[in-house]
Amino acid sequence: MNNADRILRAYAKFSGAKLAVKSIDWTWRTITASVPQLHYEGSTVTEPAQILNFLRKQRFNADYELTAKQGADTMAYIALLEEKLRPALLHTFWVDAENYVNLTRPWFTSHSPFPLNFFVPGRQASLALSRILLTKAESPLLNITEVEGKIYSEAKECLNLLSHRLGNFHFFFGDTPTSLDAFVFGHIAPLIKAPLPSGQLQKHLNQLDNLCQFCNTILKNYFTDASAEKRMDCSLTAPHDPVDANLQKLTQLVNKESNLIEKMDDNLRSSPQHRHETKPSARASERNSPLLSKH
Amino acid sequence: MSLAAEAFVSQIAEDQILLSDSASSLAVQTFLRMCGLPVQVSCCANAEYMSPSGKVPFIHVGNQVVSELGPIVQFIKAKGHSLSDGLDDVQRAEMKAYMELVNNMLLTAELYIQWCDDYTATEISRPRYSSPYSWPLNHILAYQKQWEVQRKMNAIGWSGKSLEQVYEDVSQCCQALSQRLGTQPYFFNKQPTELDALVFGHLFTILTTQLTNDELAEKVKSYTNLLSFCHRIEHTYFKEHDRESQSGSPHHYKGSLP
Repeated sequence: MNNADRILRAYAKFSGAKLAVKSIDWTWRTITASVPQLHYEGSTVTEPAQILNFLRKQRFNADYELTAKQGADTMAYIALLEEKLRPALLHTFWVDAENYVNLTRPWFTSHSPFPLNFFVPGRQASLALSRILLTKAESPLLNITEVEGKIYSEAKECLNLLSHRLGNFHFFFGDTPTSLDAFVFGHIAPLIKAPLPSGQLQKHLNQLDNLCQFCNTILKNYFTDASAEKRMDCSLTAPHDPVDANLQKLTQLVNKESNLIEKMDDNLRSSPQHRHETKPSARASERNSPLLSKH
Repeated sequence: MSLAAEAFVSQIAEDQILLSDSASSLAVQTFLRMCGLPVQVSCCANAEYMSPSGKVPFIHVGNQVVSELGPIVQFIKAKGHSLSDGLDDVQRAEMKAYMELVNNMLLTAELYIQWCDDYTATEISRPRYSSPYSWPLNHILAYQKQWEVQRKMNAIGWSGKSLEQVYEDVSQCCQALSQRLGTQPYFFNKQPTELDALVFGHLFTILTTQLTNDELAEKVKSYTNLLSFCHRIEHTYFKEHDRESQSGSPHHYKGSLP
């Protein structure tokens, strides 16, 4: 779900939608309802793909200038990401014992209220594990360790393919970011930024310069305005500094609508059709634990 | 260097096989024919259990057994036959991405329709799947398979989808494929690749299989370039082997292409 948060925020940035991000300070709703949710004029939309469709229909479209073939390519690459990269990401953050114990669980625990902090991380971990086993492990390979090799090699191959496709460009389709960029960013950003104790996938990704560059470019251009205020909040969560620097970047957006509006003016070029219209306001509500945890 | 012995493609028996397995099997057969390799299809009821990964189809060449299209392509490449050598890195990335799209959308949709749609499961899937076994094994195996597929659908989030949404997803996938194909003969212009084999396998099977209703086939038929793509491949690679025996013809328990 937090993966989806990132994707949606990035997409919202790219397409210029004015999103007031409301962090839900309590995670009770994650058990019953699914986050992120988009509330607009009374109706509620969940699931990243549907929210993206919704935003497109409301004319916040970063894919406006893509050709039909590029749109088809977007669908294909998103499928590739979901199928090849996601299991390995799930494994890195939720199933790998070192990472889970040293990074993911403490982070989650410190950001969830009592008594959820006892069972929500465990539940996410078991969901991640079952997803990997059900989709990747065939009947002789019921053990996670045997599947590990396979999913990591597929993920590395996927990262290589993305790197080939990106080449020397700033974004996947020319000079303006699109939904595919949002998806890719949402998947690889935590991998680049999180201080993982055991991260073979991270090491592999760090070797692919153009992907790291891509990620940093997006962070710099679309997410930095609030970073100055973040630093003051970082002192409270010192052990996870670089992690929370990014976390704070995102959560501070909640209170900074004026920053969002400025960014939107910059991004208007990517959605020409509503240049002359006023933007309706949309609220996205999500949990107060976006960047790191993924499932 | 050519393969020392003929490849045997093993799949489930003709009146037992279901849509999704038939599609995968046809994709492998098409790929082997595109490579110009002789292929014989043999069917047995327990093919699923014979396969090293639990999935059909699988090929055995000499004393080696390889299952599923991905590993088979790599195996054939190691033997010196490859369809995608002429592609550069970016094109290869695209090809893999589209193959994943087909697997993600079409194959999952086929599985969903077969096993998660109650009517189809009761009328078609369970009776066919359990046909070679006697009571009570047939019930047990059919329900076990259904439960397994439903668990998988749950894990990837498809269990909440309605049938209309699944048809819509198939339609979008076909639209993407249609846009990518455009007016070219194959996906990467003049030469067929494993992507063409995979797409043909799935689309042909969808078009020629009779399910409880024709909606799935209708969705595919609405894209004329995909229809002519299927005709072209059938004509090029299967027509000369069109016999009554199972080993050449892709027509199993279905009719022929419209």
